[in-house]
Amino acid sequence: MVYLALIALIGGIACGMAGLDDTLPVEMIVSHKDLILYALMFLVGISIGLNRGIIKKIKEYHIRIFVIPAGIIAGSLAGGIVSGLLTGLPLNESTAIASGLGWYSLSGVAIGNLAGAQAGSIAFLSNLLREIFSFFSIPLIAEKLNYPTCIAPAGATSEDTTLPMMIRYTDGETVVLSVFNGVICSAAVPFLISFCYNLF
Amino acid sequence: MDVIIIMCAGILVSKIFFPIKWKRINELLQLICTLLLIFSMGVILGSREDFLDTITTLGSQSILFFLIPAVFSVIAVYPLTKIFLNDKKGKGKDEN
Repeated sequence: MVYLALIALIGGIACGMAGLDDTLPVEMIVSHKDLILYALMFLVGISIGLNRGIIKKIKEYHIRIFVIPAGIIAGSLAGGIVSGLLTGLPLNESTAIASGLGWYSLSGVAIGNLAGAQAGSIAFLSNLLREIFSFFSIPLIAEKLNYPTCIAPAGATSEDTTLPMMIRYTDGETVVLSVFNGVICSAAVPFLISFCYNLF
Repeated sequence: MDVIIIMCAGILVSKIFFPIKWKRINELLQLICTLLLIFSMGVILGSREDFLDTITTLGSQSILFFLIPAVFSVIAVYPLTKIFLNDKKGKGKDEN
């Protein structure tokens, strides 16, 4: 699966760089990616439904379901502070960049507006790299640590782009936690960027 | 939010009508959708005019800004999952 994902990613980048994104099959795929995601989520829902007892398990988590998004936000902000100290970037910019939690499109634009083009570009690229890193770290974390920790590097992307890897390498229960975490983190990103940029 | 609603619709369909013998087809369709999504992400990235320029000029700083927060997130979440959640681990489904 990792190899197939890598081939699909590199193939897509190559198509984009070669200007093939205007050709009919590629354009069809890209313009309908939301529908593909919806189809995937529907199929995931079927898988969850076939796996008896998952919903009951999720209900049992109660307030503990928030520990993963809380840990991700705390870890990312701490990482932003350390990155800022290492690169010499002001603390407000460095924490705002780390607050993107992998949501590169939003954080790139938002931080670009707040702190200028250079910080916006770093936000875009670092959050994009985080998403790609998540893709390929999920199988390793699932094997070496545990399933719920796979959600940590994915951050806000755990409800969409990195979800397929979660489906492939963890279990139905972790997939539901992953979607929940993605919703919480995605809702938190705009607030966190603004909060960090103005507070520090 | 829409993603959650659609996932719930899938759960409902599986509860009301979905033969277990179609499970394998469902997994295959998931794989196809996954690869199409990854491919489209690659196309979007590759078609950005400043994609290569951005990578070459701000690459080193960007690496620090993705790696440290991502690793710190793992460091923060792992003990929390050990304490508060089920500590399940295993080999990827490919190997099972």
